[in-house]
Amino acid sequence: MDSDLIQRYNYDEFVPEKFGPWMRFLESPAVGQKGPDFPLWDLEENETSLSAIWSQNAYTIVEFGSFT
Amino acid sequence: MNAVADKYADQEIGSIFLYTHEAHPGENYLHLTSMEQKFEHARALRDVYGVTRPILLDALDGACHRAYGSMPNMSWIFNRAGMPVYKSDWTDSLSVDYAIRYLLEVGERRSDGQRMAPFNVERMDYRVQDREDFYKGLERNGPKAVREFDEAF
Repeated sequence: MDSDLIQRYNYDEFVPEKFGPWMRFLESPAVGQKGPDFPLWDLEENETSLSAIWSQNAYTIVEFGSFT
Repeated sequence: MNAVADKYADQEIGSIFLYTHEAHPGENYLHLTSMEQKFEHARALRDVYGVTRPILLDALDGACHRAYGSMPNMSWIFNRAGMPVYKSDWTDSLSVDYAIRYLLEVGERRSDGQRMAPFNVERMDYRVQDREDFYKGLERNGPKAVREFDEAF
C-alpha cells in the first residue's frame, strides 16, 4: 500500500488543508450505473466485499462513517 | 439509522455501517495508522454508540470510501446488481427512509403490472443540526477534536 496515501487519508488533525481534499462527492459514481467493488472486513476480521453485501438483498443501505 | 434498518429488515432491505477514517481525531481516538487500531475503533463505535447494523471496515487507505466520494458521513443505497439507486452526501434517516419506501412502492407497482422506466432526479433534502449532540461526540474524541473544529469553522 501507498504509505503516503494512507497518511494523508488518515489525517492527524482536522484542518481544511488536510480534510478538504477528501470532500469529493461531486466526483463520485453516478446513480444508475454499477458501482465499483472493494474488499471489506467484518468485526471478526473476516474478509468479504461490497458486492457480497449488496447481492444479499433487493436493496442495501450503506452508511459511511467512523467513531469520530 | 438502526431504526430504519430494523424497520425494513424483513422486506429484503439490508443495512450496513462502513467504517472509514477518523474525521475528527482527538486524544482519545487518534488518527488511524493500522488495521488493528481500525478494528478497535470500529468495535468502540458498536459498543459506545450502539450501532446494531453489521459494521464492515474499508481498507486502511480508504479505497472504497475514496471511490465513492469520501464524505465523512454519507449514505448510499445499492440494488442487488450493485447499482446505486440513491446517494446522499450526508446521512439523514428520514431521507433514507423515504427513499426505501419509494423503492418498495416501485416494486409493488411492478407487481401490479405497471410498466416502470427509471429516470434521474436531484432533490435538496434537509437534516436536523444537533450541535449539542455533535459537540458531545467531539468531546468524547478529546479536547483536540473540539479545538480543531472550532478553529476550522
